Amino acid sequence: MTDVKDDIDHGASETPHRDEGGPIPQAGLLGAWISKGGIIFAIGIVAAMLILIQEVVLRYFFNSPTSWAHETTIFLSGIAFVYGGLYCVARDSHIRVVLIYDAIPPRVRRGFDVVISLVCAASSAMFAYAAWLMVERAAFTPQGDFRLERSGSAWNPVYPGALKVFLLAVLTVMALQFLILTINYARGKR
Amino acid sequence: MELFGSLQGLGVETATYAMFAMLLVLLVTGIPLAFVTLLVALIFALGWFGPMAVPLITSRVYSFVSSFVFVSVPMFVLMAAILDRSGIARDLFDAMKLVGGRLRGGVAIQTIIVAVILAAMSGIIGGEIVLLGLIALPQMLRLGYDRRLAIGVVCAGGALGTMVPPSIVLIIYGLTANVSIGDLFTASFLPGLMLAGFYVAYVLFRGWLNPEAAPALPVDNDTPTSEKLKLLRGLILPILVVIGVLGSIYGGIASVTEASAVGVLGVMVSTMLRGEFTLSLMKGAALQTLQTVGMIVWIGIGASALVGVFNLMGGLEFIQSLVANISDNRLVVLLFMMAILFLLGMFLDWVGIALLAMPVFVPIITDLGYDPVWFGVLFCMNMQVSFLSPPFGPAAFYLKSVAPPDISLGEIFKSLLPFIALQILGLAVLIAFPGITGR
Repeated sequence: MTDVKDDIDHGASETPHRDEGGPIPQAGLLGAWISKGGIIFAIGIVAAMLILIQEVVLRYFFNSPTSWAHETTIFLSGIAFVYGGLYCVARDSHIRVVLIYDAIPPRVRRGFDVVISLVCAASSAMFAYAAWLMVERAAFTPQGDFRLERSGSAWNPVYPGALKVFLLAVLTVMALQFLILTINYARGKR
Repeated sequence: MELFGSLQGLGVETATYAMFAMLLVLLVTGIPLAFVTLLVALIFALGWFGPMAVPLITSRVYSFVSSFVFVSVPMFVLMAAILDRSGIARDLFDAMKLVGGRLRGGVAIQTIIVAVILAAMSGIIGGEIVLLGLIALPQMLRLGYDRRLAIGVVCAGGALGTMVPPSIVLIIYGLTANVSIGDLFTASFLPGLMLAGFYVAYVLFRGWLNPEAAPALPVDNDTPTSEKLKLLRGLILPILVVIGVLGSIYGGIASVTEASAVGVLGVMVSTMLRGEFTLSLMKGAALQTLQTVGMIVWIGIGASALVGVFNLMGGLEFIQSLVANISDNRLVVLLFMMAILFLLGMFLDWVGIALLAMPVFVPIITDLGYDPVWFGVLFCMNMQVSFLSPPFGPAAFYLKSVAPPDISLGEIFKSLLPFIALQILGLAVLIAFPGITGR
C-alpha cells in the first residue's frame, strides 16, 4: 500500500504549501530562543501520546496498568500548555480582537503595539507574583527548606511542585519577553 | 488610602458592570484575550480582597492545566495537524467523487460528506476549512458553481468539525459544566448529522432551483471500474481511524483522552502506510500543536482565573439571578441565553465563551430543570453560528487565507448568511424537539 500516493489522478488539488511561521522580529533574541525551545515541549506532547497508547495496550491486553502513565501524561501536557502560551507570545499568535486595531493607520498602530505589550507585561508580571505565592507553599517547607510538593498518589511523584515552579519560571520569562517587545516596538524595530 | 480591598466599596452590581466595561475596552484595543482576562482577574482579586486571594486564582489555574480530560485537546489538535499535512484528506475527497456522482451539486455534497468524515476523525475546524478550501473550492469554482454556494459549503462544512463527535468544543463544555463527555458525544451525534443533512438539502434545493448554480459533473465514461475501485482505497484508512476513535470511546475500551491518543496513532500509521511519514512532517505537526494548545489553554487560564475571582465576589450569583429573573417562562430564559451566546459569538471565540459564560449559564439551566447535556449540544450548535458570523468569524478567516485573492472577506461573509440561517434552524429544531439528542 505504500505506493497509493501517486497512481491516482488528483485533478486540480495540489499539495498545500505550508508556512510554518516563526518568531516575530520584535521579539528579539529571547523570542528566537523561546521559539527554538518549543521543540522540547512539542516532543513532550508526542511522548504523552505514546505513553497513553502503551497504557491502553497494557491495561486492555495484558491487564497490568501502570501507576505512572496517568500522572506523567498530565505533567507532560501541563508543561506543554504552560510553555505554549510563551511560545505564542514570541510568535504573536495569541487570539486578539483586531477589529479596531486593523482599521487604524500604521503610525497609531505602533503606539497601540507599545501599550498592548506594556499592559501584557504588567499582567504577566502580576501573575508571576501570584505564582510565586503559590510556589512558596509548593516548593518550601514551613521551615524554609526546599522540598517539592508531591501528588500523594501511590507513585507519589514531584510533578505538582515541579509544574508550579515551571509556571513561575515561564511567567517570569513571559513578562521579560513582553518588556523586550515593548522596547522594540517603541524603537520601531522591524 | 488602602489600595487592597478598596473596590469592595463599589458593591457587587457596580463592580460587575465595571468589570464588563473593563473587559470590553481592553479587548477591543487588540490586547490578546488571555491577558485581558488575566489582568482583570488580578486587578479585582487585589482590589476586592487583597493579596490573600491571589493564591486562590493560581490554584484554579493549576487545576485547570493538570486535568486528565484536558490532555485529549493536544491529542486531537495533533491528529488534525498530521492529517492536514498528509494526503489523506485529498484521497478521501477523490474517493467520495463516486458518491456525489452525476447529481446536480454533486461536488458540493461530496465536500459536505468529506467534511463529516474528517469531523468524525478529529474535530478541529481550522485545519478542515483550510483543507477543503484547497481541495474542494477550486474544483467547484472550475465547474462553474455559484461562487457563494461553493464558499458557504466549504466554510459551513468545515465548521462541522466541532459538531460531530469527537469535538473539542464539547470536551471544554464537559469540563466546565462537569458533565460526562461520553454522554455529550452520544447526544451530539444525530444533531451533527442533521445539520449536515440541512446543508445537503440546501445544495440540492439550489441545484433544483437553478441548475446553473450547482452543475452536475460532465458524464464520464472514460474511467474504468478498476480506476474507481482504486479511488475507494482513499476511504479505507479514514474509516479505520474513525472506528478506532469512536469505537474505543463507545466500546468502553478507552477513555476519551486515551481514544484521542489512539486517533493520533491511527493517522500516524496511516501516513506511514502511505509513505508520507517524515520527521519534518511530525516536527511541524507537533510544533503547530504546541502553538494551538498554547492559545486555547491560555485563554482558559485567563478565563478560569476571572471566573474564580468573580465567583468569590458573589458576581456569579448576581448574574444568575439577573438572567433567571428575566421571565417566569423558562423557555424565554433559554432563548435569552441563546441570544447572548449568539452575540458573544460575533466577537469572541468559542473557548472564551465556553469558559466565561458556561459557569454562569449551566447552574441556571439545571435550576430550570433542563438537561445540561442537551444544553451542551445547544451550545455546540450555537458555536457553529459563531464560527461563521461576522465580524469575528474564524471560518471566514481560515478560508480567506487559502482562497483565490479575488474572493474578498466581505463576499465570504455574505456567502455564509444562508448557512447561518440553516444553523439557527437547526438550533430551533433542537429546542423544539430535544429528543433528537436522545436525552
